[in-house]
Amino acid sequence: MPRKTLSVLTLTVAMQAVANLALSLPARAEGKLTVYTAGPANLIDHLAAGFKKKTGIDVGVFQATTGKVMARVEAEASNPAVDVLISASWDTAEDFSKRGLLLAYTSPNARTVPASLKTDTAVAQGISALGIVWNPKSKTPRPAEWADLAKPAYKDLVTLPDPAQSGASFELVAGLIGASGNWQLFKDLKANGAIVAGANAQALNPVLQGAKAAVFGAVDYISLEQKAKGESVDVIFPASGTVAAARPIMIFKSSKHQAEAKKLVDYMLSDAGQAEVAKVYLMPARADIKADRPRLQDIKLLQTDTKKAYAKRDEILATFRKTMSK
Amino acid sequence: MTATRARGARPLAAAAILSLLGIVVVPLAFVVLQAIFPSIGSGSLKAPFSHFASVIGDPLLWRLARNTVSLGLCVVILAALIGAPLGYLRAAYRLPGGAVWDLIFLIPFMMPPYIATLGWIMALQPHGFLAQMTGVDAGGFIFSFAGIVCVIALHVFPVVYFAVSRSVEAIGGRLPDVARVFGAHPIAVLWRITLPLTRPALLASLLLVFAMTIEEYGTPAALGSHSGFDVLVTGIETRVADWPIDLSGASILSLLLIVLAMAAFQMQSRIVGSRSYATQSGKPEPLLRRPLGAAGLPVMAGFTTIAVLATVMPLLAVVTAASLDTLSGGLTLHNFGLRQFRQLADNQNGALAALENSLLLAVATALVTGLIGTLVAYTIVKLRVRGARALDVLAALPNTIPGIVVAVGLILAWNQPWLPLTPYNTPLILLMAYCCILLPYPIRYAHAALRQVGDNLEDAARISGATPIRAFRRIVLPLVAPSVLSAMLLVFAIASRELVASILVAPVGMQTIATFIWRQFDQGSVGLGMAMSSIALVITTSIPVIVYGIIGRRGATAAATHGS
Repeated sequence: MPRKTLSVLTLTVAMQAVANLALSLPARAEGKLTVYTAGPANLIDHLAAGFKKKTGIDVGVFQATTGKVMARVEAEASNPAVDVLISASWDTAEDFSKRGLLLAYTSPNARTVPASLKTDTAVAQGISALGIVWNPKSKTPRPAEWADLAKPAYKDLVTLPDPAQSGASFELVAGLIGASGNWQLFKDLKANGAIVAGANAQALNPVLQGAKAAVFGAVDYISLEQKAKGESVDVIFPASGTVAAARPIMIFKSSKHQAEAKKLVDYMLSDAGQAEVAKVYLMPARADIKADRPRLQDIKLLQTDTKKAYAKRDEILATFRKTMSK
Repeated sequence: MTATRARGARPLAAAAILSLLGIVVVPLAFVVLQAIFPSIGSGSLKAPFSHFASVIGDPLLWRLARNTVSLGLCVVILAALIGAPLGYLRAAYRLPGGAVWDLIFLIPFMMPPYIATLGWIMALQPHGFLAQMTGVDAGGFIFSFAGIVCVIALHVFPVVYFAVSRSVEAIGGRLPDVARVFGAHPIAVLWRITLPLTRPALLASLLLVFAMTIEEYGTPAALGSHSGFDVLVTGIETRVADWPIDLSGASILSLLLIVLAMAAFQMQSRIVGSRSYATQSGKPEPLLRRPLGAAGLPVMAGFTTIAVLATVMPLLAVVTAASLDTLSGGLTLHNFGLRQFRQLADNQNGALAALENSLLLAVATALVTGLIGTLVAYTIVKLRVRGARALDVLAALPNTIPGIVVAVGLILAWNQPWLPLTPYNTPLILLMAYCCILLPYPIRYAHAALRQVGDNLEDAARISGATPIRAFRRIVLPLVAPSVLSAMLLVFAIASRELVASILVAPVGMQTIATFIWRQFDQGSVGLGMAMSSIALVITTSIPVIVYGIIGRRGATAAATHGS
């Protein structure tokens, strides 16, 4: 009997699987808005739920890193599925805008968004800044400046996010070497045993466990949220300056749901939408929304000519790689 | 006889070829197109080959290629050293524990490589779990080349273990017994009879190991960054996932990986050669597992050591990380708690949906690939149709291409605006992605098993009046079933935790176990991700156990071939 039972069981499971897959086929239903977004996941989940409650419009979400979201957009270029795109780096918005892919729209709710955080085709949802993420239990002195991390107290205890993997990290490197390209700080860091370790989440884990004492220039909101959850971690914004990364919202020209897409942008910039942004420890784009964290006016920003820096991106990344490897 | 068989079984061959075309050739063709035409994504064929020079001319590339090959070879050697003896001992001798060892060695494979690697890092890095408990800091080891080789080999050796043990079981007792009757020493029997006969299975599994290793992204990326060790896949991933996106460059590098794998494949075919490995040519003799005798203690010590290293250590690290309230709090009593699991319960809708999606997809993938894989292997080995060799190569390809590139190929292929109906943006695309990536497993396993089945059995059935389909169903299928089932369990294991392709092609709004875990890591919530991993591991492991339990009792193995 077991063999027959097994065949029947297998067949049932198989049919169940196929039926389930078939039932979920019409995923590209009409009237459903498709949003591609870089993290954080719980932010877009809450926004989608709030929007659905307010307008009745369903939102389908694809969430990954900025890089993976962009890879999907590029691969789909002949037949775009995305209506609204939220990226974690502003230069993607400029690139898409230059290629004429974006719909011009200015939300009425964007009035109190500072002029530097909006263009005709993109508006910031929120802003993050880079800081020194430091573990107070690491038995190292509290760092105050970038250069502190090149001191003997932090020997072999510092990681850097890879500037090739994050626009903000690249801008920080470009800003710190300055227009004249002074790499001394990074040479000192290298001499002090600092290593380059992947993307943000990857760099944070060794600091939490204590294998490293600090991350040189990590995205702040992830660490702020972990701190709120009780992890021993602090975010320090050096007085000499750091960089901030605005997260642009864009509507694609190819969208077949432009009216709904505009409504979603309005919602993300509404009081309720911006409160959700503040809840995940990002700075809300609107200056008039309260947030329980340092705001742009509290953080000194490096004065970098980002256009010039991006023009030299390959060169700067190559020098960075050379400096930080043996 | 061969000619009649080929003619009569034509529907089988046609089905095999068509499925291969749909599942493997279509996405791969688009990878090639993408390599040649950089703007194919937006439907344009301009500037063909414009990327080749800059990608191939990059001096960095050759270092990546060299690193890739040396990593692949080292892992193959270590996995063979671990997996082959264990597999042989398990099949040929009566071990205390028996089938439990199969389960124990399946677990490293059920564990996603990125989770296992993260587990190892958290266990061994400075101030990691090991250092917190014993003061030993193994950070220097884990972040070295040797560390990467060990972590990957401990993860993939089950492929070798299962292939070898199934193959030794299939050889059965007859030939070795004959040799013993004629006075051969047991070692001579092992060396002259059993080892040569298991060669196709062993080599097939080593080929899989090589392909999996050069395709693996997470482990070299996480462990290699400290020592500046990078491989081709790291280069591919950078091109696909780092702004500015360079899909064309990634495709070109993937073609290079394919060339590497083809070279390995050629080598494997040459060694296996055209000799006959047929051992099943008549009424099967039961394989009597011999007692271990005086070798019992050292053998058990060996099994236990590998079990501790490959299964217990990573498992312990994952469960520990999932049970700590805060990671920075360390291993103190008041820091242990169920907080991560409670948070998981708060998000149970998302977590449950992810579990259900992954389980359904994995079961479906195992069934589809098991069926198609057997058909394809049968067509290649037994039907000797024209182009069988090309089929064989084709069937091995997807295993060497990084999942992320397969994903890009699938999107390019199935998101064409002129398609009236498309699986893209539905769960079917995930099933297709998994089938494409995992089809090589059943094919290779069935291929090896079929080479052990003598032609005369089928011929006898045909002479007695059975149709080709009936002969296939009643003779061939039962004989290769244990091997295919092993392969299907591996497929289930990998499909239930696949990350790299899933993350790119998952339909809007759909999560799998792996993407759910990845989302937690992406927000720095390592503990929450590990809690989900623990639960997923328990559930996905219990399914093969149930399958083994149902079959093991009466033994489909015994019914089909010999077994114990």
